Amino acid sequence: MRDHRPGADELIFTRVVEAPRELVFRCMTEPEHLTHFWGPAGVSAPLDQITVDARPGGVFETVMVSDADGSEYRTRVIYDEVVAPDRLAWTDPDTGMTTTSTFTDLGGNRTEIRIHQAKVPEPFRSPQAQAGFLTSLDCFAAYLGQLPGR
Amino acid sequence: MNGLDATFTALADPTRRAIVARLAQGDATVNELAAPFDMSLPAISKHLKVLERSGLISRSRHAQFRPCHLEREALDAAAGWIEENRRTWAERFDKLDEHLRQIQRGPAGDEERKDR
Repeated sequence: MRDHRPGADELIFTRVVEAPRELVFRCMTEPEHLTHFWGPAGVSAPLDQITVDARPGGVFETVMVSDADGSEYRTRVIYDEVVAPDRLAWTDPDTGMTTTSTFTDLGGNRTEIRIHQAKVPEPFRSPQAQAGFLTSLDCFAAYLGQLPGR
Repeated sequence: MNGLDATFTALADPTRRAIVARLAQGDATVNELAAPFDMSLPAISKHLKVLERSGLISRSRHAQFRPCHLEREALDAAAGWIEENRRTWAERFDKLDEHLRQIQRGPAGDEERKDR
């Protein structure tokens, strides 16, 4: 059993990509890049519906469009921290959920992206909200996880 | 309280995860659940109360030994949500990976580096 497991309301996801972290940071903050990858498989994120005001208090808004049926899901979060090229943090005002992305230079043109989400359970307090959110996750996407302590 | 927050809290504890794993094999009494652990019955009962409040397990109100029962739907809801999130980020970063490859490749691949 690991000692440093994430808390019950936290989710952590990491990925290493082959690119300098300055470029990775730009991809995470510029609509022209985000449109290429922000939607998961089968979901697109149209460029003209991405808003990025990358500064504390600024808005980060995206619309996910399902390729299969055209259904849309809009998400709007507020930046808490924008520290290029190290760190990006935002809060979803509807749920209180926070997402912190950390970019670490591993050398050799490699960058680790670490997504840390906290206060995750907030949107799930009622079964109704739970059902709604689970549905929207088909298009939306901001979270990833692992069972605490696994 | 039956939300995923309670489920996550309940599953954050290794003893409670072990209890859930045991109940996945079938209903069990408190004594049976306590057997593998070096813990007092009251300590186990406390864990069971947390699990019961989270909706992950239920206990018969009337049976003398109140066997515990795993509520699989509650467990599936938590596991499904976590898995959905993991998948979403994974797919998003698969696309990012490909995007980074493309933009670093340069136009038509004619910027091959020969300076080393």
